[in-house]
This record gives sequence, structure tokens and C-alpha cells, in this order.
Amino acid sequence: MIRTFFKFLILAIVLVLLQVTVFNHVCLFNVAVPMAFIYVIMRLPITMGVGWVLTVAFFLGLSVDVFSDTQGMNALACTILAMLRKPVFSLYFPREDEIGNPEPTMASLGAVVFVKYDLTMSLLYCFMIFLIEAFTFLNPLLLVLRIICSTALTTLLILAIDSLTVKRYAKRL
Amino acid sequence: MRNLLDFFIRHIVWLVFAFYVIVSCALLFSRNPYQHHVYLSSAGSVASSVYRTASSVTSYFGLRDINEDLQRRNAELEKEVLQLRHELTGFRDREYADSMKVDPSLARYDFIVAHVINNTIARPHNYITIEKGSLDGIRPEMGVVDQNGVVGIVNIVGPHTARVISLLNPHLRLSAKVKGSEQLGSLVWKGKDSRRAVLEELPRHAKFHKGDTIVTSGFSTAFPEGVPIGKIVSAVRERDDNFYALNVELFTDFSTLSTVRVIDDRMAAELREVEKEIDPEEDAHIQKAQ
Repeated sequence: MIRTFFKFLILAIVLVLLQVTVFNHVCLFNVAVPMAFIYVIMRLPITMGVGWVLTVAFFLGLSVDVFSDTQGMNALACTILAMLRKPVFSLYFPREDEIGNPEPTMASLGAVVFVKYDLTMSLLYCFMIFLIEAFTFLNPLLLVLRIICSTALTTLLILAIDSLTVKRYAKRL
Repeated sequence: MRNLLDFFIRHIVWLVFAFYVIVSCALLFSRNPYQHHVYLSSAGSVASSVYRTASSVTSYFGLRDINEDLQRRNAELEKEVLQLRHELTGFRDREYADSMKVDPSLARYDFIVAHVINNTIARPHNYITIEKGSLDGIRPEMGVVDQNGVVGIVNIVGPHTARVISLLNPHLRLSAKVKGSEQLGSLVWKGKDSRRAVLEELPRHAKFHKGDTIVTSGFSTAFPEGVPIGKIVSAVRERDDNFYALNVELFTDFSTLSTVRVIDDRMAAELREVEKEIDPEEDAHIQKAQ
């Protein structure tokens, strides 16, 4: 229990730091910004109470906000994403009690289900964050382009992070 | 009472959800950028120390471009020094009197050099964090320039760090004019390209050519008159036909920003005082007239 807690704490700190120092400044073709830190929300055990998931997500988003001067933007999107997590998960993996490891990773879900889960969550998040961000600029074409490109980049990056973290834990065992 | 408790327990998840959504919306829609608290911005102590560490690594990346800019600027200044020296010898030859006094307006401005520790260019509202704060003499609403031109205006100040509203932020409207003419316009960023901005509300009778330099007007205490901003790329009529909107290519390269100068206007306090005292009188006049 306490080990899981620290594992997620370290994962959250590392991903938030990476997000604000590296990923926020990656801006491929001036449209694609990877939002890798939502991997923490995706990775939280599926058995965890929704109230706790919401709390973790809110503070995760708020800490990214503090660094990138976006005042509640990421906090709002993260909170909504945390609420949508369970429905999305049961959409692709209806037999929740059959899962061996409660943490959704590629190893525990299988590649196909995990990629679908990853893609949906990234799309939802990018859609929300760019929509909130775009309140002041109504430029629909640029908005759609930004959402699609950022979703693709985020999905790929999360797959990479997933393979990195899971591989390390497997070696330790 | 029991039913009420049951209701709360059954819907606790939605209540928690609603609470967080309301908190984040409250943060999000407090629109005035001047009211944000220093701890919730990148000028806070934790955020700034992280950015300071990151910047100690990344500040080396753009050195080549910055070096070129500095070389060019250096060459310009050297040329100017030579020209001024030439003029000075001319004056010395002509005048024997010791009446050469230093222009007092030159001492009005002072510069504080600061390093940029965080900077974005891709968001709709961009901010810059610098590693000088109130202890170094930085105050809100000071202008910020780099070796090429205008960068932004200081907005939140912590003891050792400060947040600057970048020119790439639609919250910032800068009074500007075409170099050599007196008609004023208002420079604002349109959120698309980090190298372009638009000079709006320029009167229709203003004269300009493609490639002319746009400079600050000097009508605020943030920037002295004549700080370069960019050059004209193209012009379009605004909707009501009485104004021009000029597309301006910015001189400042915001993607390689590293060292900036904050302009300290020694007359800022005095000007604010003078301008404040005019207002009530004007109000009184208007009331009398009515």
C-alpha cells in the first residue's frame, strides 16, 4: 500500500517536472503539444475510489497550471478527465473483475485494449484543454489541427512512458 | 436528517466533482491577469527554482543566434560611436565655450539586466519569467527589452523573480508608431505566429512604406520613445475604412530569448503623481459644464 503510494508520488513528480521543463516547450510544427502527465491519471488503480481519483487529478492539473501560468485550465480538464476515466475503461474492458493487476498498463490490459484506452483518454484531454484554451480565439481549423496532432503525439509519448516504467518494475521482480 | 446524510453519501462523488470544477472555474475565469496571486504563477518560489535549474541547462542552446545578434548590435553601436566622435570633434573645433552639457533626459532611464528562466511562445497567452525581483528594483509595469527590441511588460513581482507579460499575449496592447511620423497605433498580437503582430488603429492619413520600422511611442512610462519593435510587412484597411492595420514582423526572436533588460524609468513615480492630480480637476470641469 505505502509502496504504491510512493510509486505514484514519484511518478507524478517526475512527469510534472518533465511536462513543465520539456514537453510544454515541445511544439511540433507550431501545433502539437504533448500532454504526457495525464499518464498518472490513466495509471491509477481502477479499484481506487472515484473521489480520490478526482482529488489526485485536480492537484496534478493545478501543479502543472502553477508552472505554466494557465490558472485552473489544466485543473479543470484533469478533473473532468478523471470523472470520464471509469466509463472509458469499462467501454474497452467490460470484465473489470478479471483484471489481474488493478493498474491499467499495456502488460495488464494487452496491447490493443491499452492503445484504445490511451488514444481515447489523450483525445478527450487534448479536446478539453484546447477548447478551454481557445475561448478567446475562434479559429476552428487551427483548433481541430491542434487537437488531432497533440492527441497523436500524446498517445505515442504515453505508450513510450508506459513501456519504460513497466519494464523497470518487471526487472525488479 | 438521515435521508439527507444518505443523499450526501450516495452522491459524494458528484459533490467532489462539482467542488473541483467550481474551484478550477473560479481560477480560470478571474480574467484580470494583474490579480493573479504570486504563489499560483511561475514567479512563485518553487516554480521559479525549478525553472532556474532547467534554464541553467537550456540557456546554452540559443547562444549561437544570440551571439550573432550581439555582434550585429555591437557593430551598429560601434558605428554610432565613431559617428558621434566625429560630430564631437566637429563641435569642439567650432566652439571654444565650455557650454556642452549632458542632456538631462538621458539620465531618466536605467537598465536592469535579467536572465529569462521560463518562456512560452505557442500558447494563446504567453508569459515570461525572469530571475530578478523586487529586491533587485523590479516593479510592476516596467518595460522589458532585449538586444533586438521590445519583449514585454513586468506584471507580477516576487522577491527574486518576476513574471513578464510577453508581447505575444493579447492582454498587452502597446502604443506604437511608424518611425519618423507622429500618428499612433496600437500593437497587439493575434495569437497565430510568434514572429508577427498587428499594429491596429493607425489613422488613414498616416504615411508609411513597406519595410518601415515600427517603434514605441514613449507615451507610457514602460518604454522610452523610439525602442524598435519590428518592420512593416503589409497593410490592410480596417473594417470601418478610417484606419489601417499593419502586419508587423517583430525584431525580437522570442524562441531564443535569454538575457533581457528591464527599463527603470526614474520619472515613473513623478509622472504617475502628476497624471493622477489632473483627473479630479478635469472631472470637476466636466461637472461644471453640465
